[in-house]
Amino acid sequence: MKRHPKYTWPWLRQFKLAGQAPLITLIVLCLATALMTDRFISPLNLTNILVQSSIMAVIAIGMTFVIIGGGFDLSVGSTVALAGCIAAMVMVRLGLLAGTVAGIAAGVTVGLANGLIIARLGVNPFITTLGTMVLVRGVVYLITGGAPVGDEGLPPAFIAFGSARFLGIHYLVWVPAVLLVALSFLLQATPYGQRVYATGGNREAAYLSGVAVERIIASTYVWCGGLAGLAGVMLAARLQSGQPTAGEFYELTAIAAVILGGASLHGGEGTLYKSLIGVLIMVVLGNSLNLLNVDSYWQRVAVGAVIIAAAATDRLRSHR
Amino acid sequence: MVISGRREVGMTKPAVSVRAVSKYFGATCALANVDFELFAGEVHALVGENGAGKSTLVRILSGVHQPDQGEVFLDGQRAAFGSPSDAIAAGIVTIPQELRLVPSLSIAENLTLGDPPVKRVLGMRVIDRRRMRAAARDQLAQLGLSLDPSIRVGRLRYAERQLVAIAKALRRHCKVLILDEPTAALEIREVERLFTLVDQMKREGAAILYVSHRLDEVVRLADRCTVLRDGQVATVARRGDFRIADLIVAMTGGFEMTPGDTVSEPGGTLLEDVSRHRDVIRLRANEVIGLAGLLSSGAGHMLRRLFGFAGEKIELRRNGRLKRIASPADAIRNGIGFVPDERRLGLIMNQSVHDNILLPSLDVIAHGGRIDRGAGKRLVEQMMELLDIRPRCPELPVAALSGGNQQKVIVAKWFARAVEVLLLDEPTQGIDVAAKAKIHTLIRNFAKRGGGVLVRSSDLAELTLICDEILAVHQARMTDRLQRSDGYDEQRLHAAMGG
Repeated sequence: MKRHPKYTWPWLRQFKLAGQAPLITLIVLCLATALMTDRFISPLNLTNILVQSSIMAVIAIGMTFVIIGGGFDLSVGSTVALAGCIAAMVMVRLGLLAGTVAGIAAGVTVGLANGLIIARLGVNPFITTLGTMVLVRGVVYLITGGAPVGDEGLPPAFIAFGSARFLGIHYLVWVPAVLLVALSFLLQATPYGQRVYATGGNREAAYLSGVAVERIIASTYVWCGGLAGLAGVMLAARLQSGQPTAGEFYELTAIAAVILGGASLHGGEGTLYKSLIGVLIMVVLGNSLNLLNVDSYWQRVAVGAVIIAAAATDRLRSHR
Repeated sequence: MVISGRREVGMTKPAVSVRAVSKYFGATCALANVDFELFAGEVHALVGENGAGKSTLVRILSGVHQPDQGEVFLDGQRAAFGSPSDAIAAGIVTIPQELRLVPSLSIAENLTLGDPPVKRVLGMRVIDRRRMRAAARDQLAQLGLSLDPSIRVGRLRYAERQLVAIAKALRRHCKVLILDEPTAALEIREVERLFTLVDQMKREGAAILYVSHRLDEVVRLADRCTVLRDGQVATVARRGDFRIADLIVAMTGGFEMTPGDTVSEPGGTLLEDVSRHRDVIRLRANEVIGLAGLLSSGAGHMLRRLFGFAGEKIELRRNGRLKRIASPADAIRNGIGFVPDERRLGLIMNQSVHDNILLPSLDVIAHGGRIDRGAGKRLVEQMMELLDIRPRCPELPVAALSGGNQQKVIVAKWFARAVEVLLLDEPTQGIDVAAKAKIHTLIRNFAKRGGGVLVRSSDLAELTLICDEILAVHQARMTDRLQRSDGYDEQRLHAAMGG
């Protein structure tokens, strides 16, 4: 039985080896790859891994909220595309700030819709978010006509955000780093965070303890949608355009990463920093297979196997 | 010469007996060197606290468990039951553990399962539906049941299913009938029917083992009674030699329950249910009110309603002010706590004792949006000390605690929140005597400090022990009000509960 750390920075306190299976997996994976190819530990490659992880990390943070709350969100990939395209469209006309806000707001809207349908109407999260996944992707194609948005005319500062560095580290990497600190505090040290864990752990018992469970569940989807929106804006900055096809299968990678990080699909368990380690595992795995020149078809097979392995460990843990 | 405790029946050999039986589960010894005899034509009661070994003995007799040491005898012959079907083949029927009814089949089909009446149609054997139904109706009538035999068993209430199972056992002319807590789900009328039936089977020569928590039933029904304590036989007594008080002493090893306090002087009105015109519940400070009602009486609903957990919005007068209660959160904000009858509703099993205790109080121990860890820890420690929650390890998941300690954690949640009103639904269900006594004391002390308690329990002895007033509930109506100061009249209470 895993417990989440209490009321303080989780990576400082309660650092016990037993709970660090994801971290150990990541280290072993890195060491193995470094032994097989010297291109892995080059500064360029490591930077590349962090930048590649950054967008998925933001999505995974939101997904962790939903999964701790006992839910599930398949719509984040489509939301990434929607937010990226809307951000780019608005930015071309109204500038950087308005575009960013519009992109995040689009994500919050999708999340709020998911949350209300799931928490208030009691529709199954899988079906609900499967529906919004397809629906939102359709909306993206409708508003863009299927073509990339804002190829020209995006503010230079936005393009810079997608590639420039601050203190030697990419802006894109700063985003999940700051979010990790702020939102870990929210989950571990505030009544709200404890109520998210309680709701995911046992919805009825939480309700009988005075927790407004419907509002808590809806809020987790709002976090997830909003952060997927932010991720969409980041991706648009990196691609220097809003791509209607962006973000496909991101939802699966994000869910797999969160489960790899030790959260339980039954709810009530999980921590943000472990979810980010899960993201790094997924990205490093892809990176090392690339460096080792593994056929891209085989790469898919490997990633699929990792997702199943993650789900199986979740199952085994809940049996204990 | 009459050997003490042995009933002088015509037979010398017991229908079924065990000798020097022991059974271990891992390191726990469930039964230690137990001798037990059950004669044809007797009703033999088996009583004991939870964990005393009753279920283990029943399971050995019905072939579910095999003893680690000792032997089982059937009609004086050594017998070895490898499985429940061996025991059934030997004529031992256990109810309700082996309810053995098929929910998708009708009552008639179930009653005649394995041996249906047949007729020949064109030389083929075909089930004779008409005779089957008639036979079933006869059997049900014997039990005083007026159920339609063509109803599917799956649609019956649990109590009805149990009676059908007994009817089925009757049809098989079983030699030994083991009734394991048969009245737990029955209404008083159905209990009477069951007693008549047990009497009838006894006269027909069946050996009946009657396992029950309800000591009044045992005293009334049993010819002999075996009391188990900690896996050993504490005493065997004949009818007339045991009273309820003796049985309790034997079961608990002479454990003295804290007697109910003298009547405390009630203070001002804490809570009044003003959205009802009749059956108004009014709870005062320093007062413990009991709701006496059977499972289906609606007493549980009355409690849940006051906590905003019955799907309706209600109005309460709390300390003189009108409050709307639409959800548990509203009730908690108004200083009301609720201990549900199911522990899974009260606890988040994979979370720690610490987190569970603090869950309703998070807003109280948070300052500027941040939880005050130190204050939370001190509060939890204080609660664990006050309620004697063991082990004193706040980081342990509650799933790892014993039932009694889990129940104390639920109570601790509300003590930590410092509620004024406690609503308790079956607060001592399925917990051991020591924990039960502790919870009774906590309830009394809570009231003494100015709190008000409304408690529902199916254990009337418990209510008479802790309550200043008992309200009888039957069919969602309040049927009587009994005061401690008048002395509780058991007959009157039973009658009011719908007997």
